Amino acid sequence: MIDKLVQIAEKAKSLGRKTRIAVAAAEDTNTLGAISRAIKEGFIQAILIGNQAKIMALLLQTDIAPEAYEIIDIPDEAAAAKEAVRMVRSGEADVLMKGLVGTDKFLKAVLDKEKGLLPPKAVMSYTCALELPKHHKLLFISDTAVLTNPDLDQKIAMINYSVAMARRFGITKPKVALITATEKISSALPVTLEYALLCKMAERGQIKNCEIDGPLDIFLACDPNSLEIKGVQSSLNGDADILIFPNLESANSFYKGLMLFGGGELAGLICGTTKPVVVMSRSESENSKYYCLALACVMVEDK
Amino acid sequence: MQITKLSQMFDILATRPKKRLIAAWAVDPHTILATHSAAEMGIIEAILVGDEGLIKKTCQEHHLDCSKLRIIHNPNDLSAAAQAVKMINDGEGDFLMKGLLSTDRYMRAILNKESGLMNGGILTHITVAEPLNYHKLLIFGDVAIIPLPDLNQKIAITNNLIKTAHFLGIDNPKVGLLAASEQTLPKIPSCAEAAIIAKMAQRGQIKGGIVEGPLGMDLIIDKDSAIIKGMNSVVCGDADCILFPNIEAGNTFYKTLVKLLKSELGAIVMGAKVPCVLTSRGDSELSKLYSIALAAMMA
Repeated sequence: MIDKLVQIAEKAKSLGRKTRIAVAAAEDTNTLGAISRAIKEGFIQAILIGNQAKIMALLLQTDIAPEAYEIIDIPDEAAAAKEAVRMVRSGEADVLMKGLVGTDKFLKAVLDKEKGLLPPKAVMSYTCALELPKHHKLLFISDTAVLTNPDLDQKIAMINYSVAMARRFGITKPKVALITATEKISSALPVTLEYALLCKMAERGQIKNCEIDGPLDIFLACDPNSLEIKGVQSSLNGDADILIFPNLESANSFYKGLMLFGGGELAGLICGTTKPVVVMSRSESENSKYYCLALACVMVEDK
Repeated sequence: MQITKLSQMFDILATRPKKRLIAAWAVDPHTILATHSAAEMGIIEAILVGDEGLIKKTCQEHHLDCSKLRIIHNPNDLSAAAQAVKMINDGEGDFLMKGLLSTDRYMRAILNKESGLMNGGILTHITVAEPLNYHKLLIFGDVAIIPLPDLNQKIAITNNLIKTAHFLGIDNPKVGLLAASEQTLPKIPSCAEAAIIAKMAQRGQIKGGIVEGPLGMDLIIDKDSAIIKGMNSVVCGDADCILFPNIEAGNTFYKTLVKLLKSELGAIVMGAKVPCVLTSRGDSELSKLYSIALAAMMA
């Protein structure tokens, strides 16, 4: 079972294959730093799409010879994104990665109905695995980046994606906590009503492969002592693997607070697409970027 | 002692101090006969508010002994209802019963903001039935007052079902929340709200009973169906109480029990300061007595 992010990279290496990464507008040092590290570790092959001259100049700063990369010269960033998506869609690459292209242009190419990577009616969401120095295992959290105010169906998708990721990490029946400010159900806090529904859906086998409880606050989800003090019964026993947040603001603030003040590291991925899609923020640490890439390689469906 | 037959209420009431029933505009044979029988059995004290002449005439026609009844003369139906309610508020009676008054007038007297019997509660109708081929009593609601209960009203009804069970000596009643399916289908309100209420009970926000739902009627009352469908809740096949999602479902169940299955039952209105009896003229003599006894148990 994977309980440290570094193990994701080890798992990626152990797969014994070189995952093909198509990078859209591979023109920034952040992206190329993570890519070159993964090449050195031997688990990826990179196809860099963008302004060839700029890419070549940046590659000279890395300690890997430019011949190790395949470079496709498409200077326009939107066109580069489209080409990267096309390659992944056609099977010429396994993973899509965003470089120095605006997120809106990048996602437009991903979401394109005819030529994109999202199946009809599928929900696109974001799940990340968070490693915290003071916690004994990884926490999977969603949605920190894509869905602003997920409705019930979107929450079900978030749960399913997070469960699939946790299972890929060797957690066969992950414990899912539905997070809000309280464990009480009240129509004054409508998300608590949705959470009650989700619990019952899992109990009835309508959401599979996991144990769900909520509403819970972070204490009750992740700390058995808090359960005892408050006298709350929870099927998760204060040991959640997955935290589902009611909205983007709460999930985003939770992870950023922990990154900044708690020394956290993460590996995150866009979920719902036919192939893994890596979108990293420039403010993320070198390590986190590398882990994101390794995670994408691990999540590629076995052929 | 846990009651498994409605008639056991009579035995229990006989051992307790008699509760005082106040009947509003009790001038019709139905009300007079039922209250007279209950008084004669010694399970309650009957106080009839209404036209004294009319009441005595009815007693004579049915060869009833007027001395079993205390009559408070009031010649007008609305004023009699108001007086009956006032007597409850003044502590001169323990529970209320409807006479020949229309149901809406009776309810209006109870609900009157200044002079009524409300105390911030939600009025709900609770029935206790003795179905012939079920192994225990069934307590259910709401079949008569709230047409389409919202979540808060359903919670109030659930609490009243549990409270009624406690009064009947059923310590930790099993409550089935009825819906069309045991699947949690978010777009079907009965399924969604049942899931919410069940979770609230799990969190201790509804106390005193084991609450499970959504469940179809088959799973609530039939263990075999539960086994076939792989449901292992202790509520399945052994429910003491049923929450109905709407009045049509509840009322149809009630009338099917009475008319097709010849079950006896008792029913009361809860949520006011005291239990209120609201029998229908179509009820059997025995069911009217059971309703009076049930109110007396809970007064």
